[in-house]
Amino acid sequence: MKKGKRTFGKVLMGLMIIFFYLPIVYMIIFSFNEGKSLTNFTGFSLRWYLHMLESRDMMEALYTTFSVALLATFISTVVGTIAAIGLSKSKKIVRDVMEQVNNLPLMNPEIVTAIGFMLLFITFKVEKGYVTMLLAHIAFCIPYVMLSVMPKIRSLDPNLANAAMDLGATPWQALTKVIVPQITPGIVSGALIAFTMSVDDFIISYFVTGSGVKNLSIMVYTMSKRVNPSINAISTLVVLIITLVLVLINVAPMLLAKRAKKSEISKRRIFVPAAAAAAVVVLILCIVKMSGTSSGLPYEGETLYVYNWGEYTGENLIPDFEAATGATVVMENFDSNEQMYIKVANGEAYDILVPSDYMIQRMIDEDLLQKLDYSRLDCMENLTESVIGLPYDPGNEYSVPYFWGNVGIVYDKTKVSQKDLEQEGFRVFLDEKYKGDIYLYDSERDSFMMALKSLGYSMNTENEEEIQQAYEWLIQCVETMEPEIVTDEIIDNMAQGRKALGLIYSGDATYIMSENENMGFYLPNEGTNLWSDAMVIPANAKNPELAHAFINFVSSYEGAYDNSSYVGYTSANQEVMEDLSGEGGEYEGINAYLPRTDNDKDEVFVYNEDTRKLISNLWSKVKIAASNAK
Amino acid sequence: MKRFSQLAIPYIVWAALMLILPMALIALYSVTEHGNSIVSFSLTLDHYVKFFTDPDFLLILWRSLVIAVKTTIICLLLGYPVAYFIARSSERLQSILVLCITLPTWINMLVRTYAWIGLLSEGGLIQQILGFFGFKEVELLYTEGAVLLGMVYNFLPFMILQINTSLCKMDHSLLEAAADLGANPLQTFRRVTLPLSLPGVINGITLVFLPAVSSFFIPKLLGGGQYFLIGNVIENQFITVGEWNFGSAISMIMAVIMMLMMMAVRKVEIRNQGGKEE
Repeated sequence: MKKGKRTFGKVLMGLMIIFFYLPIVYMIIFSFNEGKSLTNFTGFSLRWYLHMLESRDMMEALYTTFSVALLATFISTVVGTIAAIGLSKSKKIVRDVMEQVNNLPLMNPEIVTAIGFMLLFITFKVEKGYVTMLLAHIAFCIPYVMLSVMPKIRSLDPNLANAAMDLGATPWQALTKVIVPQITPGIVSGALIAFTMSVDDFIISYFVTGSGVKNLSIMVYTMSKRVNPSINAISTLVVLIITLVLVLINVAPMLLAKRAKKSEISKRRIFVPAAAAAAVVVLILCIVKMSGTSSGLPYEGETLYVYNWGEYTGENLIPDFEAATGATVVMENFDSNEQMYIKVANGEAYDILVPSDYMIQRMIDEDLLQKLDYSRLDCMENLTESVIGLPYDPGNEYSVPYFWGNVGIVYDKTKVSQKDLEQEGFRVFLDEKYKGDIYLYDSERDSFMMALKSLGYSMNTENEEEIQQAYEWLIQCVETMEPEIVTDEIIDNMAQGRKALGLIYSGDATYIMSENENMGFYLPNEGTNLWSDAMVIPANAKNPELAHAFINFVSSYEGAYDNSSYVGYTSANQEVMEDLSGEGGEYEGINAYLPRTDNDKDEVFVYNEDTRKLISNLWSKVKIAASNAK
Repeated sequence: MKRFSQLAIPYIVWAALMLILPMALIALYSVTEHGNSIVSFSLTLDHYVKFFTDPDFLLILWRSLVIAVKTTIICLLLGYPVAYFIARSSERLQSILVLCITLPTWINMLVRTYAWIGLLSEGGLIQQILGFFGFKEVELLYTEGAVLLGMVYNFLPFMILQINTSLCKMDHSLLEAAADLGANPLQTFRRVTLPLSLPGVINGITLVFLPAVSSFFIPKLLGGGQYFLIGNVIENQFITVGEWNFGSAISMIMAVIMMLMMMAVRKVEIRNQGGKEE
């Protein structure tokens, strides 16, 4: 009987260990995969580690994570311990109130705390970035430290300090020589909790960060949409660091104790390994934070803040620009125009943004952009005519086009018949034949565009009745078709042929078709969105001069070629577009690469505040309905 | 002595600024209109009305609570026996096992969640194993099951560690005493072990339930873009819709619900302790 129980326990324990470690081991194995797949191991290689080491983004995220964690741990441990000692001698009412206050970050859902910090920083116009992240981390770490120090203080004899002072100790001596040594275990475990909390944090960091400062969590969150084994590599590195630190902290004391039998070691028991662990982390940070220097370049030491779409720049664009100018580029990514707008409208400063047409119009209307200085620009004649002088900025006073294209349907030629597409157009997304086999794109504008076009209306309609019908169209789609609503995840998934159909930007379709020849791209005759994304300089830019240099560089043949060939989106540079789509070009024969410009029903988005609000609210309701329909 | 109490003053100021003020701001935003500036000041309860009159929002809230409850129950059912097993092992094994459970919690949560994507995706290891047992083509990633799995995976260690701590604190002579007095193992467990481990269980429930309700990256990474929980709704309001006032109102609602639940849980704990003293 008893034996049976033990076996049960052992089996359960074994399963538990497998459960906890399987994903971690899997991740470590695939960080050495030669191929890009997360499911097929094709051979051993270190390429993702090289990729990781070369990616400044990743290295900086690593640096931010651990430097914030160490600083926050140190500060919150010191402050928390002092505050706890102080409070223990305060009046009971003060103590009780503060206990409740400290409970706020512990007992509130993290997202509420995060939003509180964000509103605080925005209300008091504190520029979001490294400092705000650090402040927030300190703020939520201190309560944990106090929580683990308090019980130790309570168990002390309250007369201890008095006794020490009666014997001639100054208050400072009483504190450092008598009280602190007694509560050391509490302080150390508080510090450990603070460190874990800080390294682990995502939600709070995500809401309080800015100016391109990312920690590891934020980086994984923003990069997780595309298959990127470098994430596995950097994760493996983190596992390694953490394991090393933990083992040092846990194993070292045992060894020390063994060597020198209990005696005087006990006090240093934890400090020595903790210090050693901190040293390891600092060492790693030093390796990570390598900074190259060069000289004699025009923008040496200056920084350019770029806010762009995710996966929207060529592999060498930024390094090349930095090498040419000496400037440092800090790039932050967004996945929707709306997300970008909210940050900019709330005063975050960037030098370059890459919004879409209608959003540019909105930002011009709201005086968020500054006029371009044409004396600094030498790139306008490189651009293709189709993207110049569009209604959102007729004289191109504010914007220089970056990429352009259509929105269409990517489909698996082996699963979807051309006839269905031709007959149904966007209504193919309501065709139950393809139920459970479709992707929608998480963009309020383009989803409503699809529905409106399918119903035969203009995508710029201001008629609420028509918008309501489009809403019902979308509701029908999410309730009957079991779509997955995605953003960039669609790219790798369609390239692997996971679904039959998807609503997609032409540039993503180009990439998919170049990866998988079974994929096709179809533009419905009922018309679609002819969009363009363009570079603009916000009114509050700190370095407009460098921003102009960046615009020139991106629009030049080399910059534009690198961008377009790597990302797959159609370049605004005429020559690049011709070379890539022409004979021998990388995208020869791929219809998605050349946008359709000859259909009268294709439109360009126009901004209208009222319809935007309506559509934005309706789209979040469509998503909620999709979620509830599951 | 008085002088020591002054040590707390800087922190009281800090806490007022960094802990109380943010909550006050959320409350303020939630009852004002279009509050990206505090200049236009008019009180309104519209945001709360909007939330409570829309069945979709209520359904999302309900689903978030349900999945959090499911997560908590699974964690409890899995966590208790594991914690029990650890507490009954030899001291040496105990510290090793505790380390084994702790280690994953030290590794960034996003990283751990991301690791599941490869395992669960089409053609991944789990699907192959299921395929081997005859379950063909089961969709794993981007389902509610995946979200539940992700939550259990992330939060289970908290449950185990909390219960384990309270089991280890327990005086073993109590068990012997119970046995000596003729209780069978089941009775001993029900009458002695379980009540004594209750504080750990309650702490564990708090530590699992709280993050599970408000999590938004687990549903986003493992549930896909169309899988919304209340955390995602709040994120969406702040990051893409830009209706901060409405977002603040939902945050307040969440905070209040959580507070009520925590109070209820604490009450159970207090009553239990009261019962013991009788």
